Amino acid sequence: MSFKFNRLQFLLLFFLFCGTACTRKSSEGDTTAKKYSIYILAKDGKEYLLQSKTLDKGLLMPEQEGAELNSQEITRSVIVKNGYYYHLNRKKGTFVKYKLSNRSLIEVGSVPLKDFSIENFYWKGSDTLLLTGLNVPESSQVKYAIVTTAKMGLIAEGNMDIPLPFGRFDNMSVGFVELRNQKLFVGYTYHQQLSASNYTTSDTTYITTLNYPQMTAIKTDKDTRSTYPGGINTIQPYAFNDEQHNYYFMTCPGIALGNRPELPTAIMRIKSGSDIPDENYFFNLSTSATHNHAYGMWYLGNNKVIIRSERKDLFKGLGDHYSTPHFEFYVADLISKTTHKLDLPLDKGTRRQCVLINKDMAYISVNSSTEGNYIWIYHIKTGELKKGLQLAGNTDFIMRIDELTP
Amino acid sequence: MKISKELIEKYHRHECSAEESEAVEGWLFSGESDEALQLPISEDKAQHKAVLWNEIEKVFPQESPAPISTKKDFYKNPFWSGAIAATFVIAILGITGYYLTTVKPTNDMPLVVNNSSSMHVKHVDARAYQISVGTNTSTRINNTTGVIDLSGSLLISPKEDMELIFEGSSEKMIFKAGQTYIILKGENGVDKIIVVNEKNIMDLPPVLQKQIINEFQI
Repeated sequence: MSFKFNRLQFLLLFFLFCGTACTRKSSEGDTTAKKYSIYILAKDGKEYLLQSKTLDKGLLMPEQEGAELNSQEITRSVIVKNGYYYHLNRKKGTFVKYKLSNRSLIEVGSVPLKDFSIENFYWKGSDTLLLTGLNVPESSQVKYAIVTTAKMGLIAEGNMDIPLPFGRFDNMSVGFVELRNQKLFVGYTYHQQLSASNYTTSDTTYITTLNYPQMTAIKTDKDTRSTYPGGINTIQPYAFNDEQHNYYFMTCPGIALGNRPELPTAIMRIKSGSDIPDENYFFNLSTSATHNHAYGMWYLGNNKVIIRSERKDLFKGLGDHYSTPHFEFYVADLISKTTHKLDLPLDKGTRRQCVLINKDMAYISVNSSTEGNYIWIYHIKTGELKKGLQLAGNTDFIMRIDELTP
Repeated sequence: MKISKELIEKYHRHECSAEESEAVEGWLFSGESDEALQLPISEDKAQHKAVLWNEIEKVFPQESPAPISTKKDFYKNPFWSGAIAATFVIAILGITGYYLTTVKPTNDMPLVVNNSSSMHVKHVDARAYQISVGTNTSTRINNTTGVIDLSGSLLISPKEDMELIFEGSSEKMIFKAGQTYIILKGENGVDKIIVVNEKNIMDLPPVLQKQIINEFQI
C-alpha cells in the first residue's frame, strides 16, 4: 500500500513537530517547576548553585548543570525565599536580591546596607525582612535593618538598645531573633579576643526584650546554664517554634561557636505567652547519648528535632573540624530529653544548612568520604533511611539545601 | 678599506669616490675601536673626527630660535605649579607606600616579614607563593626546608603545590596551587595553629571569621 503526503498533511505534521520541540525547550528552561536549591563547593574551590525538581532520586553534576558563582558576589550566607536569593555584599555595602535563570545568577534589585554584618534574619510576613547584625569592623553594636523584599526598599535601620561589650569583652554575637506580640527577643553573648587564633566567650546567655519596631529595651534576662545562644542563621538554623508557639533555641559553647567547651550544649526555651527563658526546662545534649557538642537544630514536628553533633575523638582542632568527616545526626526528643543516632555516614563541614523537612520526610544532605555526597531521606514516622539525590562530579561539599518557596 | 690621513684629506676636499666617502663616514660613526685607521703617531684620531664633525655641522640647517612659549606662563601660574607639585608628591607617596607594603624577596632566601602595623596588611610576592601578612604579625618561611614560623595571621596562595612544616611540628601540610589558605597562630606560642582553606572561612567560629574578613578585606 502506498501512502502519499499532500501539502496540507505535510504542513500539519511540520507544525506539530515544531510545537513539540518548542514545548520541550520551554519546559527545560522553565525554572518555576524547580522546588529545591542546592549550593555546592567543588573540589577545585569553585562554587555552584543548582535547582532541582526533586531530592528523592537522580544524579546532578554541578559543573554540568549548575550556575558557577562568583564568590566576590555571593556566598553561602544566603537567604532563600519565593524563588529569590538575598545576600549582603559587604564590600559594596549593598543587600542584593538575585534570581537564577539559565544557569546564571541575575541581580534583580538591591538596597544600600553599609557597615553591617548579618547575624540573623527574621521574616515578618512574606515581604518584610528584619536583618539583625553588628557594626563593622568592631562587632560591638547590635544594628538592624528592615527591608521590603518585593520592591527592595529599606524601611528602617538603626541601632538596637542592647548593651555594648563591657569589662574584658570586646565583641559580641547575636544568635537568635524572635518577634512575639510586638516584642522582639534578641539572644546574644559577649566575647574576648585572646589572640589571632583564640578567643573566649562569656558564660552567660543574654536575652534582651525590645519594643518593636522602636527597638528600645524593655528588659534583659541572663541565664548562666549555657552560653552562645543560637548562631548565624543564614548559615544554619538553631531555633524554631513548636506547634504551641513555644520557642526553642540551642546553645553552642563548643569550639566551633562559643569556645567554652567545659559548658554543656543545650536546648532551652521561652514558653508560649512568656517573655523569659523557662527556668524549668534545660535539655543537656552533651550528657545525652551524643556525649559531644552539637551545632544546628531542625524541627521535625511532634516534639522531635534533628541535631548535628560533632565527634571530638575524630578531629584535632579547628584546622580539621570542617574537613574531617566526623558529624553525626541525632533525633532528639524535647519532652523525654533523649537522643538516638541516625544510621548515616559521617558527615563533614562544620556548619551547613543541611536538613529540610517536608511533611513526613526529612531530607538530610551528607558529605561522606566513603559513600559520596547524597541527600538521604529519613521517614519521620517509620524511621526508615534511604539514599535520594546524588551530587556527583566535582562536588566536595553540599553546603546548603533550601526549598525555593518555603 | 683602510682609513688613512690622505683619504681623510681627500674627503675634506670632496674628492672621494662614493665607496671612499662611505668608508670614511663608516669610520666616523663607528666609534673608537677602529684598527682600519692608519695615522702617523703624531696625528690624533679624535682631532680628525672633531674636524670632520665641525664640517658636517656647517652643512646641517641651523636650529631656528625657539618660539616664545606660553607654557612658561602656564608653569609659572601658582595654581598649576602647585597642582603639578602635588601630583609628584602623591606619586612619590604612592610608590613609597607600594614598596613599603609590597616586598619582593629573592628566590630561595628565607622570607622574613614583620608587620608591626595595627592597621595595614603587608603583601609579599615570592617566587612560589603570594602571602598577605596580617596586622601585628611576624612570619619566617624557609623556602628551602618549607619550615614556617608564624605569630599572628597570614593568607598564603601557592603558585605551585607546596608543603609547609610548622615550626615545632613534624607534620607536613600540603597547600595546593590556585587555592588560598588562612593560617592563624596566637602570639603566646600556646594556641594551636589553625589552617583553613579560604573557601571554608564560614566554617570558622564567627568571632575568628569576622576578624579575618575585616583584616584582609575578604
